Amino acid sequence: MGLLDIKGLKVSAGSHEILKGIDFSIEEGRTTVVFGPNGSGKSTLMGAILGLPGFNITAGSIIFKGRDITALPVHERSRMGIGLAFQYPPAVKGVRLSTLLDNIKNGDEDLHTYSEMLNMDQYLDRDINLGFSGGERKRSEILQLMVQKPDLLLLDEPESGVDIENISIISRALNLILEKDKPLRKRKRSAIIITHTGYILDYMRADTACVIVGGYILGCGSPSEILAEIREKGYSQCMECYRDMVRRDTGAGQET
Amino acid sequence: MQDKRLDEIISNENSRLEEIGYGGGLPSCGNFLVMDASVLESMYAASGLEIIPISDAIEKYPRVRDELYFSLVKKDKNEYTRLASGARPVGYYIRVEPGVKIEDPVQAAFMLASTGGTQVIHNIIDLGQGSGLNILNGCTTSCQVFQGKHVGITEVYVSEGASLSYTMLHNWGKDIEVYPVTGIHVEKNARFVSNYAAMTAVKKLVAYPTAWVEAGGSARFHSIIYSKNNSHFDMGARAVLKGEDSGAEIISRVVSEAGIVISRQMIEGLTTGCKGHMECSGLLLDEKAVIHTIPELKGAHPDINLSHEAAVGRISSKELSYLMARGLTEEEARSLIIRGFLDIGIEGIPPRIHDIIEDTIKKSVRGSV
Ligand SMILES: Nc1ncnc2c1ncn2[C@@H]1O[C@H](COP(=O)(O)OP(=O)(O)OP(=O)(O)O)[C@@H](O)[C@H]1O
Ligand SMILES: [Mg+2]
Repeated sequence: MGLLDIKGLKVSAGSHEILKGIDFSIEEGRTTVVFGPNGSGKSTLMGAILGLPGFNITAGSIIFKGRDITALPVHERSRMGIGLAFQYPPAVKGVRLSTLLDNIKNGDEDLHTYSEMLNMDQYLDRDINLGFSGGERKRSEILQLMVQKPDLLLLDEPESGVDIENISIISRALNLILEKDKPLRKRKRSAIIITHTGYILDYMRADTACVIVGGYILGCGSPSEILAEIREKGYSQCMECYRDMVRRDTGAGQET
Repeated sequence: MQDKRLDEIISNENSRLEEIGYGGGLPSCGNFLVMDASVLESMYAASGLEIIPISDAIEKYPRVRDELYFSLVKKDKNEYTRLASGARPVGYYIRVEPGVKIEDPVQAAFMLASTGGTQVIHNIIDLGQGSGLNILNGCTTSCQVFQGKHVGITEVYVSEGASLSYTMLHNWGKDIEVYPVTGIHVEKNARFVSNYAAMTAVKKLVAYPTAWVEAGGSARFHSIIYSKNNSHFDMGARAVLKGEDSGAEIISRVVSEAGIVISRQMIEGLTTGCKGHMECSGLLLDEKAVIHTIPELKGAHPDINLSHEAAVGRISSKELSYLMARGLTEEEARSLIIRGFLDIGIEGIPPRIHDIIEDTIKKSVRGSV
């Protein structure tokens, strides 16, 4: 049994079916990257795992730490150890970043060690994400996860819009949360990382890569091989598998 | 003074008074306490400061009688001013000598102690040139009073280069009616800051203080209202920018669980270089709540700069689930957002007064973290 086991997951938003039957697992201490073209359903998968509103699960189940969490509210999933770095984190006017961090942390941890590490010291007194640049928002997300210390990190494009120096800063922080310095069998925390460019893989080791197209996971394999293939040929080969999937599901040739 | 009675009352009503910032060990430069129509405490302890009952001031100073009393507020303005002008005035006269700046606030409290009664208050504040003062006013009822009416006339004179921060905390009950009438004269290069917080239910409250601002002067009105039950608030502020390069800022934040809140703001710019900005935002927590904002700008000279922002809506579900994604319950997340909404980051008020307002907000917002 994995840390997370997803079976036959179908998710729709409004009247639109976005995820069309996802099977996906991740073991303790592992890191999986997810590739896929824009609009393929990557963020939807993360939202569904965390239970964000707007995503309706119409079939399948999500098992986390052996418990079916499919119907749990967001904060309970979060408290069980799921943490999401949002692709588009909203600003929360009037609430200081430090206030939120104080609410997240347990015990009297020193927030400054974390904020210093992410160069976020001067943002603690500002309203959460308000007026933050794209890269600052991403660092703010990672800072929040550092304090939250989830067992499963969902990282939705953590490096997009982030300059090279800051990608390395972010990765260092993530490697710390994920205990990448320890031997594999001692690592408890896992991560699912969505990335388009794969830049972050220069700084963080991933064990597996999966490709999502049109709401299906088409396959998983070695991160470097899959990335190389996408870089060379785009998603064209995947589109063939995708058509196979649709054919399998509909029993005919036409798309739904 | 009737010291024995005073001690008794203050100890009986201690918690009610502390909620509005009176007593409670806060440092102050002077105190003034009125219960119904009796002045129970009137003292000051700073040189260059005087706090006396207004009736005494009218006898003592011809200027108060002839030039200040019912000057910024006209006697025949409405039924409440007429009521006040017909009665023997009860309230304070606060005077600061030119050039004297006092950091510790004046604490004043007005308590309604007999059910069904009408309390009529008249206060005058008189700041000499270049002086500075902080006033913390609180209004409340005694623990046993559920019904009544409060009428309050306030006339504020801020002389050239002087600076007044005037904080008012209202802590009424759901069957109390409140009718304040306030006029403020902000002279050349003077500053006036009003902070107003009403965090409990009220039957009806109608207030529309007006500041007349001379050259280089500024008036700022900040108010936060948390409406519950069947409260009816008709609350606003108006600034008339008369002098060159004068300025005004009006910020109002309203959170409503129930009841009606009408929020009126007006800035009039009459001459060159006037600058004014207003912001009124409302947060509706329930279908039982109505917030009606009426921002008005009036420009009477091309070389002015007046603007407003207004928004009324609900708590953003995106922000809510963002905070919940960090492990906060919905209740905790809402409370954090509401408190943030009400925290208008007022600058220039003493930290202690800020703490009292914070505290009031915390107590009023349910499910505080
Ligand atoms: N509320 C909604 N109503 C209708 N369609 C939606 C809704 N939310 C998302 N979608 C659609 O679902 C699809 C998947 O969206 P998702 O955000 O998961 O894509 P993504 O793979 O993360 O893309 P990107 O790489 O651009 O971030 C998109 O086509 C999007 O337009
Ligand atoms: Mg996405």
